[in-house]
Amino acid sequence: MEKRIGTIKRKENIKGFWLTSPYLLFTVIFFGYPFVWLVILAFSKWNFISSPQNIGIGNFTKLFSDPMFWTVFENTIRFMLEFIPMVLVSSIALAIAFSKARYMRSFFAMSFLIANVSSGVAYSILFEQIFASNGPVNNFLYDSFGIFIPWFSDPNWAMFSIAIMVTWKFMGYYALIFLSGLQSIPNELYEAAKLDGANRWTLFWKITLPLLNPSFVMVVVLAITLAFGIFTEPFIITGGGPLNSTQTFMMIIYTDAFEKYQAGYSATIAIVAAGLSFLMIFIVRKLMEKNVSFS
Amino acid sequence: MKVRILFLLMVLLISIVAMSQILTLTLWTAPNPYQDMFWRQIVSEWNKTHPDIQIKWSEIPAAGSSEESILTAIASGRQPDICDNIFTGFGEELVDSNVLVPLDSFPDFQSLISLRHMETIIKHWDFDGHYYVFPEYVNPMLIWWRKSILQKYGFDQPPRTYTDLYELAQKVDIPHRRYALLFYTGPVWSDRWFDFIMYYYAASGGQPYVNTQAQVALFDNEYGKEVANFIYTLFKNGYSSVDLASPPFESGAVVGCTEGPWNIPYEQTQFPDIYKDVVVSPPLVPDNYPKDKPIYTFADSKGMVIFKSTKAKEDAAWEFMKWVYSNPNNDVLWIKLTGMPPARSDLLTNPIFAPYMKDNPIFAAYAKYVPYAVPPALSSKTVDIQQAMTTYLVEPLIYLKSTPDQALQQCVSQIDNILFQ
Repeated sequence: MEKRIGTIKRKENIKGFWLTSPYLLFTVIFFGYPFVWLVILAFSKWNFISSPQNIGIGNFTKLFSDPMFWTVFENTIRFMLEFIPMVLVSSIALAIAFSKARYMRSFFAMSFLIANVSSGVAYSILFEQIFASNGPVNNFLYDSFGIFIPWFSDPNWAMFSIAIMVTWKFMGYYALIFLSGLQSIPNELYEAAKLDGANRWTLFWKITLPLLNPSFVMVVVLAITLAFGIFTEPFIITGGGPLNSTQTFMMIIYTDAFEKYQAGYSATIAIVAAGLSFLMIFIVRKLMEKNVSFS
Repeated sequence: MKVRILFLLMVLLISIVAMSQILTLTLWTAPNPYQDMFWRQIVSEWNKTHPDIQIKWSEIPAAGSSEESILTAIASGRQPDICDNIFTGFGEELVDSNVLVPLDSFPDFQSLISLRHMETIIKHWDFDGHYYVFPEYVNPMLIWWRKSILQKYGFDQPPRTYTDLYELAQKVDIPHRRYALLFYTGPVWSDRWFDFIMYYYAASGGQPYVNTQAQVALFDNEYGKEVANFIYTLFKNGYSSVDLASPPFESGAVVGCTEGPWNIPYEQTQFPDIYKDVVVSPPLVPDNYPKDKPIYTFADSKGMVIFKSTKAKEDAAWEFMKWVYSNPNNDVLWIKLTGMPPARSDLLTNPIFAPYMKDNPIFAAYAKYVPYAVPPALSSKTVDIQQAMTTYLVEPLIYLKSTPDQALQQCVSQIDNILFQ
């Protein structure tokens, strides 16, 4: 009997291996190989044409003394500080609104996903035109209230404006994550709290928000990943300006590799940026993640 | 039966031998619909008349830039035999990496230069005494003005000097709606070609802004100061703006803006009424610039190269280049299809171009400035140099974060460091 079970297990293992092998092969070719090459490049000087020269930790020492790296780091932190609160508040509010909707809830939820699936280049060009110095938004503000907002042309405003755009893009998607979290909170908890005299605010702060912790952490982790990977919007709209206030890690990785032909240095930035985002996610999870039980 | 099989085998063998006699060269050209039309005709004609050397033509594969595409192709060994759309800075990078064939190694190189009247133009493409890039076209950058707006405010001619521009701005500017000049084209490194470098060439009479041999920046001088003061004055007084909705010139948000000749076919097709309202002038110059001296400008210029990897086919590749560029009719076709001036200094004197010049006064204006159009510095550090110009000079002046003198000094010092590294 045991021998037969062993044979079945072995057969199942082989079948499992064959079923997963295309994905494993894909991973080795399109992730493993480039990753190993990336690590090799990070310790090399390579302009795509000549053979890579090993320069030890030269790229890393150059990186930490490069003012552009610190500017980008500062920009990324600033983007996170602006984007994460904005997207959290708007997506939670949207999720609550979805949960209260009696009819066509799925339709509304899916409608907000349109922003998420639309082309980054297309909507960036659209936003650039709408919020231009002489665009319709500024024309309206100036004609009606005498106000002019330099959305993308002032170093203090540009990153914030991009954060607004990215919030618009992702709030629908994140709201769906929060909506699934909201739907998993048992109604009995609210009813019991109401019997104890809790008002709406108390219900929100003491039940909804704590029990949304898994969704909350997930959205924050996704938002951090996004902050370190943002490229299309600043690349299309501001080109990293004004005064480098919208330069991002992805933009300098691209510029260093394909415009300055410093593929090795670019690989180093990519590794350090990935390390920083992992570190940030680790800290956030340590500080925020809690075990949630509905019992 | 045996005879038939033998006959078929013979035919097959002869075909294989004949096929092996055909040399095939790959040619990549700029991804541009107007240039595509030119190369489609040229390659087709060549392939018909040269059955032994066939050209396999395609656009440079789609990527963020042509340079990116070419570099990745070289890295993976897929580079073409012949490639165009190479600018001086990228050419220097390729020369440094020893991947290009020196074109002056072909015995009839100089005769082609003479035949195409390129003696003056080729001087700007000297890479340590050799020529690796064959200049195809020279796009002098000029300023387009809206004639009707100028006339409405009493200007029969476009502004020539900085003070002329200030006078115009005082009359035409409407806050947040209309500006006299679009100076700043964007924060990307290549945008500096079309603002600071162009105005520096105009102010200095075409003098270089860096000396790559001595590894020093050269624009911390009276001309650089004039241009820096001009930028500062423009933005301090609100005579220019950044971040205008597209297209600012056509919508009337700016009265003047820098344009290359490549915009001619686009404007003729997309904005025919505006095109009729265009008047062209060279870049603005300082007030004390002599009236009788020609005004220099920046040349957006690209050239063609042969990669060393082509090996035994080098002569065939050169034969093709020579065939294309020795026939002035091909240059006429180029002008008609792309609107860009070929890199030859006889555009205004050679009767073959005269009919086109007569019908296209804006193109004729560009052709006039070909001899005074200077390409960018031959430096493999072009991107770093021009990024430094953005970060330490142009943007601090635009956003009034620095004074002209301070910005100029800081920028020059940064570029000296870059060149020294």
